[in-house]
Amino acid sequence: MKLHRIVVKDVMRRKRRVLYAVLGVVIGIMTVISILTVALAGQSRIYQQLEDYGANLIVIPAVSQLNLELGGLGLGALTVGQNYIPEDRVAQVRKITDDMINHALGVEDEQLRYAAPVSPKLYVSGEVRGTSVMVVGIDPEQERSIKTWWRIQEGEYLDGTDQALVGALAAELLDLRTGDRIVLGGFDMTIAGILHETGSDDDYQVFVPIKMAQVAFDREGVVSSVDVRALCIACPVEDIADEINLMVPGVRALAVKQIAMTEMGMMDRINRFMLALAGITLAVGMFGVVNTMTTSVHERIRDIGIMRAVGASRGQIARTFIYEAIIVGILGGILGYVAGTLLAYAIGPMIFQGVAVSYVPRYLALSLVLAILVAVAATLYPAFRATRIRVADSFRSL
Amino acid sequence: MLEVKNVSKIYGEAANRVVALNGVSLQAMKGDFIAIMGPSGSGKSTLLNIIGGLDCPSSGEVMLDGKRIDALHEDALVDIRRGRIAYVFQQYHLLPSLTALENVLLPLVFRGRHNGAQRASDMLARVGLGHRVNHRPGQLSGGEQQRVAIARALVNDPALILADEPTGNMDQKTGMEILDLFRQLHREGHSIIMVTHNPEIARHAGEIIVLQDGEIADRIEQERSGRDES
Repeated sequence: MKLHRIVVKDVMRRKRRVLYAVLGVVIGIMTVISILTVALAGQSRIYQQLEDYGANLIVIPAVSQLNLELGGLGLGALTVGQNYIPEDRVAQVRKITDDMINHALGVEDEQLRYAAPVSPKLYVSGEVRGTSVMVVGIDPEQERSIKTWWRIQEGEYLDGTDQALVGALAAELLDLRTGDRIVLGGFDMTIAGILHETGSDDDYQVFVPIKMAQVAFDREGVVSSVDVRALCIACPVEDIADEINLMVPGVRALAVKQIAMTEMGMMDRINRFMLALAGITLAVGMFGVVNTMTTSVHERIRDIGIMRAVGASRGQIARTFIYEAIIVGILGGILGYVAGTLLAYAIGPMIFQGVAVSYVPRYLALSLVLAILVAVAATLYPAFRATRIRVADSFRSL
Repeated sequence: MLEVKNVSKIYGEAANRVVALNGVSLQAMKGDFIAIMGPSGSGKSTLLNIIGGLDCPSSGEVMLDGKRIDALHEDALVDIRRGRIAYVFQQYHLLPSLTALENVLLPLVFRGRHNGAQRASDMLARVGLGHRVNHRPGQLSGGEQQRVAIARALVNDPALILADEPTGNMDQKTGMEILDLFRQLHREGHSIIMVTHNPEIARHAGEIIVLQDGEIADRIEQERSGRDES
């Protein structure tokens, strides 16, 4: 027989008292877990929304308009500069963006570096079956990771150099189907697939690999614009734009202010506030445990005296209380997790309309750790008091 | 083996001062059976608690095997309780949530011996409770509970057994049975100091010390030492 078995037997005898202590833990843990679970559901919803925002940084050629004036008389505007960006600037934009994001996220390991989607584009005017259309040269992979909402209605996504992807309305107007062959800038192309309607300009465009567009339309080595998706709470979009404007000649970078970002920041602040509240609940629950444990010490003065009289050391007495606290913590952690998750299911939909709350298994580990910590911390002082009890006094007090 | 020198115990201060013991001295040799008698409040239990290190004297010395134990730190007293001195109390003082066997095992658990079940059940058999090892204290009679407490005291094979009115809560017949058990232990060589106010029980001790108002009023050396009697 070991010490913890004695504790377990004693706990079984004093079920009610132990359950009071468990309740104190449950209330605190329940609040924490329900807040975390609801917050996670809300966050994933916002992340979903973020997906739909696409790029939030656009790099365009630095075309400036010089206003010509003479003696206060406007003489009109003169457009200065090129309408294209040299292709080697794309790599510079990519490097600045990644460096600044990883710096902001505190990532140093090369393996873990975050790579923001950077998608160069070339807009050219083309003609398909006698109708003029906007042909967009894209980097298929990068464009796909920015336009996460793109769905293929028919056929497949771009996979080869001589393929084209057609917007839904363009396909309808031009009567194009997957597998049809078209001629663009003198090159034969096959329609790889047709996009679902998106409600944007994409519906009227024809997408081809950017290399193909450059060759076919004689725009080798240049791109029209670069879309960057730097979406995360820590991403310093505006700083990135400033840096690009400063370091990369011939371009202008524009940061798009995102509602989602503000929403994200707000969410973050609300979370912190709620967690602070949960912390208070946890502390209140802890005082409950302190109270119950102190009562428990008092009730067990005689038992403690007996154990001391038959050879228990003070450390062993303290350990019986710590073991009891661990039992309380385990029970409180499990029940607190269950209660908190149920609470999250109940209140989640009231806070975020239509959000699907789902239980988070890893929070069970969190609530166990938290509950055991709280229960043990709450027991330290009562356990210390228990070790101060002298045998003779414990019997006299009866 | 045990020497108590000029021990006093004072509770409270100034106006509330109560002198529980006043200059008590006694000696016990190995194999002695000493009975401490006296009316209620004469300081019997206080003396026994001090002898066993459960309580500290206000002045005086307690020597066990030539070493002072009266001013020992709590942690050092633990070693004394783990094998050299064991207690038997009037109220048995068993843990209610544990079975008889587990209560007897308790001293071994605290010593870190996790395989003492055989020894514990041997001790229960020795006190005549071999058939009730799995009963809880609540399911045992007073006499049976005291037997469990005695088995618990024996499990560490102590040099000295201190018994504080072990038969105080029992009828005459059960009391005599418990006394017989103590006499048997005495015959087997255990040293016993027992507080009692039953003269019938004290009659079997080798020496009777009578306390009155915290002082030794009388000392009776008995010819019929418990050991000689068969």
